Amino acid sequence: MEMEYGNHIIQSPKEYSLCTGCVSCEMICGLMHDGCIGPQRNRIFIQPGKIKEMVHTVLSCQQCSDHPCYEACPKKDKAMCLDPKTGIAYVNEEECIGCGKCQKACRFTPSRINLVKSKDKTRRKAKKCDLCRDKEDGPQCVKWCPAMCLALSDGPIPWEEDKKEE
Amino acid sequence: MQRLDGYAGKILRINLTDSSTEELSTWDYLPDYIGGRGICNKIFWDEVPKGVGAFDPENKLIFMTGPTTATGIPTGGRAVMTGISPCTLPEQYSYGSIGGWIGTVLKYAGYDGFILEGKAPAPVYLLIEDDKVQFLDASPIWGQVVSVTQESIRLAHGADIHSMVIGPAGEHLHRNASITTSNDNTFARAGFGAVFGSKNLKAMAFRGSGKIKAADMEKVFELRKTVGRPERQPNPPVMRESMGHVSNSFPHQWKNGSYACSPGCNSRCQRLLMDSKSPFTGGKVSQTEKCVSVLAFNYTYEHPWGASLFVLDEKNPRTLGQQKSFPHGPDKTDPDWEICSEVYKGDRMDLWGPDFDRGALMMELANEYGIDKWEMIIHYFTWLAMAKKEGLLTDLDFGMEVDVENPAFVRHFIDSMTYRTGIGDIFAEGMARAIRTLGKEKYGDTIYQGRVNQDGVRLDIPVSLEAAWGYSAHWQGRGFQSTPKWLWVANALNTMVNTRDCFNSGHMHVTPDDVRQFLADGPSYSDLLIQRVMENEGASMIKDSVTTCEWQSPDIVWHDMELQMYQAATGDDSMTKEKLDEFAVRSRLLYRAILMRNFGRCRDLEAENVYPFLTYPDPWGEVDTWDEWNDTVDRYYKANHWDPATGWPYRETWERYGLKDVADEMEKLGMLPSPGQAYQRKPDPSVRQEV
Repeated sequence: MEMEYGNHIIQSPKEYSLCTGCVSCEMICGLMHDGCIGPQRNRIFIQPGKIKEMVHTVLSCQQCSDHPCYEACPKKDKAMCLDPKTGIAYVNEEECIGCGKCQKACRFTPSRINLVKSKDKTRRKAKKCDLCRDKEDGPQCVKWCPAMCLALSDGPIPWEEDKKEE
Repeated sequence: MQRLDGYAGKILRINLTDSSTEELSTWDYLPDYIGGRGICNKIFWDEVPKGVGAFDPENKLIFMTGPTTATGIPTGGRAVMTGISPCTLPEQYSYGSIGGWIGTVLKYAGYDGFILEGKAPAPVYLLIEDDKVQFLDASPIWGQVVSVTQESIRLAHGADIHSMVIGPAGEHLHRNASITTSNDNTFARAGFGAVFGSKNLKAMAFRGSGKIKAADMEKVFELRKTVGRPERQPNPPVMRESMGHVSNSFPHQWKNGSYACSPGCNSRCQRLLMDSKSPFTGGKVSQTEKCVSVLAFNYTYEHPWGASLFVLDEKNPRTLGQQKSFPHGPDKTDPDWEICSEVYKGDRMDLWGPDFDRGALMMELANEYGIDKWEMIIHYFTWLAMAKKEGLLTDLDFGMEVDVENPAFVRHFIDSMTYRTGIGDIFAEGMARAIRTLGKEKYGDTIYQGRVNQDGVRLDIPVSLEAAWGYSAHWQGRGFQSTPKWLWVANALNTMVNTRDCFNSGHMHVTPDDVRQFLADGPSYSDLLIQRVMENEGASMIKDSVTTCEWQSPDIVWHDMELQMYQAATGDDSMTKEKLDEFAVRSRLLYRAILMRNFGRCRDLEAENVYPFLTYPDPWGEVDTWDEWNDTVDRYYKANHWDPATGWPYRETWERYGLKDVADEMEKLGMLPSPGQAYQRKPDPSVRQEV
C-alpha cells in the first residue's frame, strides 16, 4: 500500500514527554519564518487540553504524499510548489495570493495550513510547514522544543530509540 | 515617544457602565514606565482619586503586559493587574501577577493592556476580538463554577478562545475571590475576583489575529538558551510515592506533571497534579498547585525553611527545588553548599493529619469557586483548627461540628463562605475582617498551645496567623514558613511598605557572604540588609514590568537579565541598567504616592501594622522588640531618602526621579516633610497601659 503521509513532525507520547503547553513551537515557527509571532504566523499548532485536563495536542502538517493542498493551488508550481528533493509541498510566498484554497483542501480538521488574513490583499499568505527546508539543521520547532516533545517521523525518534535500548 | 518594537501600542479602556470603549496610546507612558506594574501605577495615580473603595464603580482594574510578552522571550508571557484590593485591610491599592495566555492573546488583539472601570447594569462578559469589543449577557453563566464557565465560553466562541473568569465566590463578593484563566492560572492574592463581581463582570474572553515583533531576533534566541531552563529535556509525568514537603510527607501514589504557565516559557513548573478525583464529578481532573497547596494535604508541621529559596551564588544560582529537576542537579562542590542548602523542618503544629482526598477537595473547591488557596489554607483552616483546639468556637454556630479533618465540614465551610450562608457571611469578608467582627482579642490573639519547635520547646503563636495588612504569614518567620531572623526582618520591611503578601515576585535573593554580614551586623542593625531589601523591591518591580518570572531569574548573579530582555524586545539601546533601576525606584515611589494620597500611608501606620506578628518567637525563640524594629525602620526610611518621622519622601527624592508633579501634589496635601524634622518615637503599642 502506498504511504499516505510523508516525513512530518510528530508528538511524543505523553509518557515519554508531556507537552508543557508553552507553545514555543508555534512561536519559534513564526520567528524563524516571518520574524514575528502571531496566531496567523505558525505552521504548527498546539490544541490546548480540555479544561481540567491540561494535556495538550500538537497538530502538524502530515505532508500528505498526494498533497491535496498543492493540487488545489490556482498557481500550482509557482505559489504552492513541490520540493524536488523531498517531495513535500511548500509555499513560495512571493507568488502566493492568499486565496485560502490550499487551507480548505487540507484533509484535516482543523486545517494544518494557516493563513494571514489582511485587508491588504498583497499581504494575504498561506503558511504551511515545509520542515524548515532552508535550514541545515532541520525543523526548528523540533530543535527548540524545551520538552523534546517533537521529532520527525522518518528521523531518529527519541522515544522509539529509548525503547530499543531497553 | 517614538515607537518601539515589542509593544502593541494601545491600551484599551473599557467602561462597563455605558458599554463604551476608548483606546489610549501606550507611547504616552514610555519610556518612563516600561510596562506591567510600572504603567499600572502611572494610570492609577493619574485616574483614581482618594475616597474610592474596592467595590465602587470608580475603582479601576488595570491589566498590563510587558514589552517581552508575545515576543518569544522566555517567561515574558506573564502579566499584571492592579486596583483597589478588597481583601487588604484596610482596602488599599494592590496588585497581582499571572501567567496564562491572556497577556499574549491581548497583544495579538492589538493591546498592551486594558483598564476596566464602571459597573455593568446587569451581569455581562466581555468578548474582545481584535479591535471589536462586545458586552454580552452573562445571565446564562452567572452562578456557574469556574470550569463550567470556561467551558461554556469555549463552546460559545470556539476552542481557540482564551478566557479569564470568576466563580461564585467573586459573584458573592468574597474578599479573597480569584480570577482564573483557562489554564488554571489565577489572580488570587489581591481578591480582584470580587472586584469583577462588584462590576457585574463574570468573564473576559479574548481572540487576536495580529502579530508582535521583537527588535533583535538573534538576541531572543540567545535568551532562549540562557534564561530559565536552557537544557532541553523530556518531561514525562512522574509517579510519586509520597505527598508533601520534607516534614509533612506521607505515603501516597500520585501523578506529578510539569507545565508552562505562559506562552514562550522554556522552563516548566512541577506543579501539575494529574488525574486526581474531582469532588464534583467523581471523574479525573488535573490541577495546578501552588507551593502552599501541599499543606492542604497535611498540616502536622508547618512549612519547612529551605535556605536555597533565598541564598544563591554563582555555583547554585537558582533555587534548590529547580536545580534538583535539572539534568546536572545542584552543584554540591560549592564551598557554600552547606549554607545554601540548609533546611529547618518546621515547627510541629498538629493542625490536621495526612489525607490526600481531603486536601484535593479543599484545592478543587478553591479552584471551582474561585477563592485564593493561600488564604483558605493558611488563614481560614489554620484558624479553625487552632481556635477549635483552644475551645474558642463553642459559642459560634457553624451549622455542623467544626472538624477540619472531616471532608464534609471542609466542604460545608467553604460552601457557606462562598455563598454567604449562615456564619459564612462573616468569613466571606476575609479572615482578618471576620476576626475583628467576632472580637480580635479572643478570636485572633488567643495563644495556640500546640506549637512545638524541633527541640521540643513549646512556643507562643496566636490562633490567627495574620502577619500584616490582613494577610496570613508568608515567610514571616513564625507560624508558617519559619525563617531565621535576618530573613524575617527583611521580609517584614518589604511587607511594611507593601499592601499585600509581596511574594508574587518578591522573594529576596542574597549570597552566602551577605548572610554572613547580616549575622555579623545583627539583622536589625545591618545596612547591607537594608540595601538588599531595597534592591529586591526594585528587582520585583522590574520583573513585574518588563515582564518576567522570578523563578526563572538567577538575578543574584545575572544582574542585567531583564535589561537584556527589554533591549531584545524593544531595540531601545539607550536603556541601561542604571536607567532600569531608576525606573524601579520611580515606580516604587509612585506606588508610595498612591498609598499616601489615597490611603494616608505614614510611618506610624506601617510600623504598627507589621510589628505585632514580630513579637511572637521564631523557632529559635527570636523576636523583635519595639525599639529594635523601629531602629530598623529608621534605617530603611533614611536609606530611601524618606523622612523617618513620617515615612514620606522629601521633595528632593521625588524630583530626583522625575516626579516633581507628585512632590507638588504632596505639598498641597501637607505630606511633604522637611529634612531634619524631629521625631518622637511612640511607645510600644503592644504594651497595655495601666487604666
